[in-house]
Amino acid sequence: MSTLKTTLTGYVGYRGREGHYAFLLHRITGLGTVLFLVIHIVDIALVYLAPKGFLDVIALYQTTLFGIGEIGLVFCVFFHGINGLRIAYFDMFKPANWSIETGRNSTRVTLIATLILWLPATFFMVRNILIHNFGLFGG
Amino acid sequence: MAATSEQIRRVKVRPNYDHVAWKWMRYSALLLIPLVWIHVILQDVIVGVHAMDLDYVAQRWANIGWRIYDALLLGFAMAHGMNGVRQVANDFIKGDRARSIMSWALFVFWLAITVIGAAALIGGVRQDIPLN
Repeated sequence: MSTLKTTLTGYVGYRGREGHYAFLLHRITGLGTVLFLVIHIVDIALVYLAPKGFLDVIALYQTTLFGIGEIGLVFCVFFHGINGLRIAYFDMFKPANWSIETGRNSTRVTLIATLILWLPATFFMVRNILIHNFGLFGG
Repeated sequence: MAATSEQIRRVKVRPNYDHVAWKWMRYSALLLIPLVWIHVILQDVIVGVHAMDLDYVAQRWANIGWRIYDALLLGFAMAHGMNGVRQVANDFIKGDRARSIMSWALFVFWLAITVIGAAALIGGVRQDIPLN
């Protein structure tokens, strides 16, 4: 149990600002994505294993609560990809960029790039929820 | 300070499992960025979950190209994800034995989920069962 506590204390207590947050977000978004990936493989497998069950799962995914989760998932996918690109690029081509200042700036750029991809996607997903679940915009 | 020789010493180290796994994460990631982003933008944003039903999946999988696309997603994303979980778990688990058990458990889990996904991908949508 002490390993668990030590690691968690390090995750929370380390004061590395942007670089630290990027590390935490990379882990959280990765774990979040893989959690849904496992669920998603099984739910798609239902089209072959139990087609009736697939329709029940889709009905669940169409609820507002899961719609909000879906918007979070899309953020995870975009952030994890862009931050992964940043890490790989620095490692392979610009190791000198692993300084505190460049690390902080590039983390901000990563977040902005994520928002540029995520906000338009969110607009369409929120619109879908409002149309189908709330009867707005002629739904 | 005494002068030191500046000869560069190069040592060849045989790559171990974790070295290969680390490279795998990088290479699979480069492939996964276009694969997953296109998949997510198409299915979640453009088509949307409200347009999903058995017919949609059947139509999509009628095209062998999309089946290959989904097979690549299944293979690369699940392996990338499970190895990522292994790396996170290594931070929380101490001791070679415990880590070995965790690695094998994740491997078995990965294999089971991948087989389930592959079965559906090969079998396709079963519409012979009356739904109502």
